[in-house]
Amino acid sequence: MTSPQIEIQLIAAIVAIACAIPGVFLVLRKMALISDAISHSILPGIVLGFFITHDLNSPLLILLAALSGVITVILVEAIQKTGLVKEDTAIGLVFPALFSIGVILIAKNANDVHLDVDAVLLGELAFAPFDRLLLGGIDMGPKSLWIMGIILVAIIALLLLFYKELKVSTFDIGLSSALGISPVIMHYGLMSVSSVTIVGAFDAVGAILVVALMIAPAATAYLLTSDLKKMLLLSVFIGVFSAIAGYWMANLLDASISGSMTTMLGIVFLGVYLFAPRKGLIAVLYRQKQQRTEVSLLTFLLHLNNHSEAEERHINHLQEHINWQRVRSRTVLNLALKNNMIEIQDDLVSLTDKGKEFTDLAIEYIITNKDEKIEPMKDDFFLFRG
Amino acid sequence: MNNLNYAIQVDDLTVAYNYKPVLWDIDLHVPEGVLMAIVGPNGAGKSTLIKAILGILKPIAGSVTIYGEPYEKQRKKVAYVPQKGSVDWDFPTTALDVVMMGTYGQLGWIKRPGGKEKKASLEALEKVGMLAFKNRQISQLSGGQQQRVFLARALVQNAAIYFMDEPFQGVDATTEIAIINILKELRKAGKTVVVVHHDLQTVPEYFDWVTFLNVKKIATGPVKEIFNDDNLTKTYGINYKVAVNK
Repeated sequence: MTSPQIEIQLIAAIVAIACAIPGVFLVLRKMALISDAISHSILPGIVLGFFITHDLNSPLLILLAALSGVITVILVEAIQKTGLVKEDTAIGLVFPALFSIGVILIAKNANDVHLDVDAVLLGELAFAPFDRLLLGGIDMGPKSLWIMGIILVAIIALLLLFYKELKVSTFDIGLSSALGISPVIMHYGLMSVSSVTIVGAFDAVGAILVVALMIAPAATAYLLTSDLKKMLLLSVFIGVFSAIAGYWMANLLDASISGSMTTMLGIVFLGVYLFAPRKGLIAVLYRQKQQRTEVSLLTFLLHLNNHSEAEERHINHLQEHINWQRVRSRTVLNLALKNNMIEIQDDLVSLTDKGKEFTDLAIEYIITNKDEKIEPMKDDFFLFRG
Repeated sequence: MNNLNYAIQVDDLTVAYNYKPVLWDIDLHVPEGVLMAIVGPNGAGKSTLIKAILGILKPIAGSVTIYGEPYEKQRKKVAYVPQKGSVDWDFPTTALDVVMMGTYGQLGWIKRPGGKEKKASLEALEKVGMLAFKNRQISQLSGGQQQRVFLARALVQNAAIYFMDEPFQGVDATTEIAIINILKELRKAGKTVVVVHHDLQTVPEYFDWVTFLNVKKIATGPVKEIFNDDNLTKTYGINYKVAVNK
């Protein structure tokens, strides 16, 4: 690996971490769309900042752009508060307007401004190593590495300091407010942090793809865990993995780096969506199939419980009485046998003690709907896992 | 003006959404140590009243004091149980973690909960019979269990006044009895409990104080004196008859 290659991957990884952390809270607050809005409407801020500083990496430009991100949020809320339009409509009204102001500003000044719409939308990660930070003539590395590094340190520090506040204001806005942890402050804090992150990452991955880096890792992690801390760690890991894997995919295909990174995020999400252990599609379908089988099992056991007559319990006539097809009856019979819930003597099926106990508990649960009764059964049976 | 005997004192409170008043000129004096129901039809402003007392909503007029001081100074004396439906139960967290959130107010900004907070939270979970579920993800709890977790979170706040917004909404009879028993225990310990309540039949059995509300305050006082057909009719607008065992 050459040193620019390492630098590009390092920048990509840092951008991915910095985006993933606020992304988790945006996803949990159901505000994913607002990151899309911010990423577009920072454009006029960037253009104005660029006119003033003539430097895409100037801190003033970052602050101006982040400010236009926060203004977006304020405008969206102001329009929404009129009660005339819904939130998604308000978002759809605000960000194209601000974005187009940026586009017009660029077009009007295209001759003397080194800034084009392509770069704004897709970023130029490949060029990031060329813009060096020189201190007293010494090369300190790429400027964007420093900028994103500083932003990342700030994000981690804020997360560690305000983790508890972020959590409670995201989960329960009413309690948070009553406890004196102002949800308004937390909201605008998160919006400011998201705006700064988007502006910093924007140079590397562009306005469209920064959204993927914020939302996709969090959405993927959400399918894998039900613990906020783990969700944060997983998002960071998924973001970094996709960024680096995307970089190598771009190398291999000789394609856009940011495009490949986003594609990789999509692939990872798809994989997790299909194969996640609990919330994944395959697990859900499997569970539904198991539940069907177990409802059948319970029906079968109840039938045995209710009938002592021999003809109702004969192994070859069971399906006629329960009105099932032969295959299904066979499956259910085998399942019951495997769990030692029934025994077969002279072709007559009857409940074992275990089967009787299970049936009684299940009936009691269904009648009383009391969860404590079936706690021990939950390990063995899908039916009761809700 | 400020009478220190009142746990909650609301004077001339008006709250509006988009300039349409939903609570109009409310005066409400709640003595310490009562178990009070707030009753009224849908849209009467019951939840709004609680939210305004807790500073979650800004009133356009009037004042609220808790033991003679503004709410901001008395936060630590007050616990709040919002409506169960107001939060996302798919949030990635456990029952214990939700209860721990009750300790955040005492901790203040930045400081993290530690062993002491955890111990108090476990005790609160035990009190509501949910200790066995402490590590359960909250979406895996039944509606009644979720409500008990919310109650445990209020208990851990160790407050003097408890506000509860429809704690009996969508819970089974066992949970309802468990909750009301805990509320009665709180009253016995001298706490003041204010509950937004829907089931008029159970008011005389559960509560000793009641406020009738329908945008304006209709009546407030001891259940034995004012829980009658006259006030019910005034509040609900129709000729209301409740079989109250006198």
